[in-house]
Amino acid sequence: MLSLSIAARFLRSSVGQTILIIAGIGVGISVVIFVGSLITSLQADLIDSTVGSRPHVTLLPEDEGTLSGDLAATAREDDDVTTAIPVRRLTVIYTDGETSSPLSVTGGTSSDLDSVYGLDDAVVEGDFSLEEGEILVGTDFSERTGVAVGDTVPFVLPDGTTAEYRVAGIFDLGSAAANDRLAFLDPVSAQRALGVTEDQYSAIEIQVDDVFASTDVAGRLATDGVTVVDWQDENEELLSGLTAQSGSSFLIQAFVMVAVALGIASTLAISAVQKNRQIGILKAMGMTDGAAGRIFLFQAAILGVAGVLVGIGFGYLLIWGFSFAPVEFDVAPSPSLIATAAVIGIAVAMLSSIIPSRSTSRLDPIEVIQNG
Amino acid sequence: MADIIVADSLEKVYGEGAAATRALSSASFAIEQGEFASLIGQSGSGKSTLLNLLGLLDTPTSGTVTIDGVDTSGLNRKERARLRGETVGFVFQFHHLLPEFSVAENMTMPIRIKGGSVGDDERTRVDELLDLLGLTGLADKNANQLSGGQKQRVAIGRALMNRPSLILADEPTGNLDSSNSSAVYELFREINRERGTALLIVTHDRGVAEMTDRILEMKDGELIQDVRNDYVS
Repeated sequence: MLSLSIAARFLRSSVGQTILIIAGIGVGISVVIFVGSLITSLQADLIDSTVGSRPHVTLLPEDEGTLSGDLAATAREDDDVTTAIPVRRLTVIYTDGETSSPLSVTGGTSSDLDSVYGLDDAVVEGDFSLEEGEILVGTDFSERTGVAVGDTVPFVLPDGTTAEYRVAGIFDLGSAAANDRLAFLDPVSAQRALGVTEDQYSAIEIQVDDVFASTDVAGRLATDGVTVVDWQDENEELLSGLTAQSGSSFLIQAFVMVAVALGIASTLAISAVQKNRQIGILKAMGMTDGAAGRIFLFQAAILGVAGVLVGIGFGYLLIWGFSFAPVEFDVAPSPSLIATAAVIGIAVAMLSSIIPSRSTSRLDPIEVIQNG
Repeated sequence: MADIIVADSLEKVYGEGAAATRALSSASFAIEQGEFASLIGQSGSGKSTLLNLLGLLDTPTSGTVTIDGVDTSGLNRKERARLRGETVGFVFQFHHLLPEFSVAENMTMPIRIKGGSVGDDERTRVDELLDLLGLTGLADKNANQLSGGQKQRVAIGRALMNRPSLILADEPTGNLDSSNSSAVYELFREINRERGTALLIVTHDRGVAEMTDRILEMKDGELIQDVRNDYVS
């Protein structure tokens, strides 16, 4: 591989120029990796905090009816579904004599509710396991009303009667609205409060593996007499915001790569002019046009690979540096993004060598020999 | 002796129509294997044009060049480059060494261009040639660290590395002082005598030409004289 060894020697002979261009490619690649990882992690965090501890797909009965628990078992057979739980939903009113506040109550077994809402981790005081007659309330509700763990509190049920539930624990779901308005009740109390039978539920709450597969899952689970609610339909504004954010991040990355390409192309073009004489001599000694052109292709490949490696190093350094920033999410480097950036970086470097390679191929050795 | 190179009715015209310049008109001659010839003439007489055509660096407007029995007029750029690398060794007025490489690397470059590898045999040959050139021990020096005369001698060594049948030299001593010039000519004579390599040396210096066995003279693009020089010992 004479072309390769000449390419390496040319790069080594102007080491300052070589280091500068490798650093340039490295900075470009690291920005692509960092911006890509930042946006991906930010969006993942945003989505997780929005729907991580919520149902992604909810099956509701049409016309105020009820659903059978069998629907949850059917839903669990779908490959994309990770959790499907039957719940009973009702609204109760808490009153302390002066003010009253409504609570949206979800009734189900502790383990079922934990699988969707992550209650085990969310409970900050008391116990998350729900015995019969026990309720979990949020931190904001607890602070506002003075209700504490162990208190037995009266609630007005939908039919106007009053029931007393013991507060088993207090949860923090990460949102003030949820912590003030939501509550979780054991399944038997919820059944009794609604006046339904053992196999009558008000909703099936489902979580899926990939949150963006929810629309497909919703389509597959649609049957007669059931209304299917998809989280993506209820969060269109958030999703269009995320799409716009992805688009702008893609644009930034694309323009950085264009800048990298222009940098490599101009460096190689200068190098081709600088090495014109050497190329002419090599051709006069019998080097073919193709082999002479490949010198710059190999230079580009060496610069591209070295630049990408430096860029990955810089990228990890930036991500590590960002871990000290006062934000509530971590930036995780994505292997697929790094692989893509590496492939694009090397491809861009190779493409940048086309013009100098072609002008080198066309160079006539006589021009060089005669001009000295 | 068989002919190593034959020029038949070579013409070179630059430009077209009224602006056309005839740099070379119907040059025909042959050089035998082992012959030591010179090509003289004033600047602009067409010497370098003829040498570039003979060395396949340029293509004639009409006429043919036959090297070692191969008619080169039907060859493409790649085939011409290969034949040039295998048969012809060039020495130019400017040494044209590659400054990024060592003396040994410069000398073995023609072998590597041909696709050969450089091993112990080639390394021994480099040392032998350097001894012959009076450059013993300089193999690993960078080409840039040598003096002008040393560089030109390395360029001659490079031309010899492939054991070419023919060496074409274009004003090889044009940039050297008189003592270095005569050293180079003695070297050419020695190479010619010991290895049987044919040489064609372009020069504008008649005194230099008279040291060769045959003198070809050009004027205004035409070959006007072709004489044997029997006074050379």
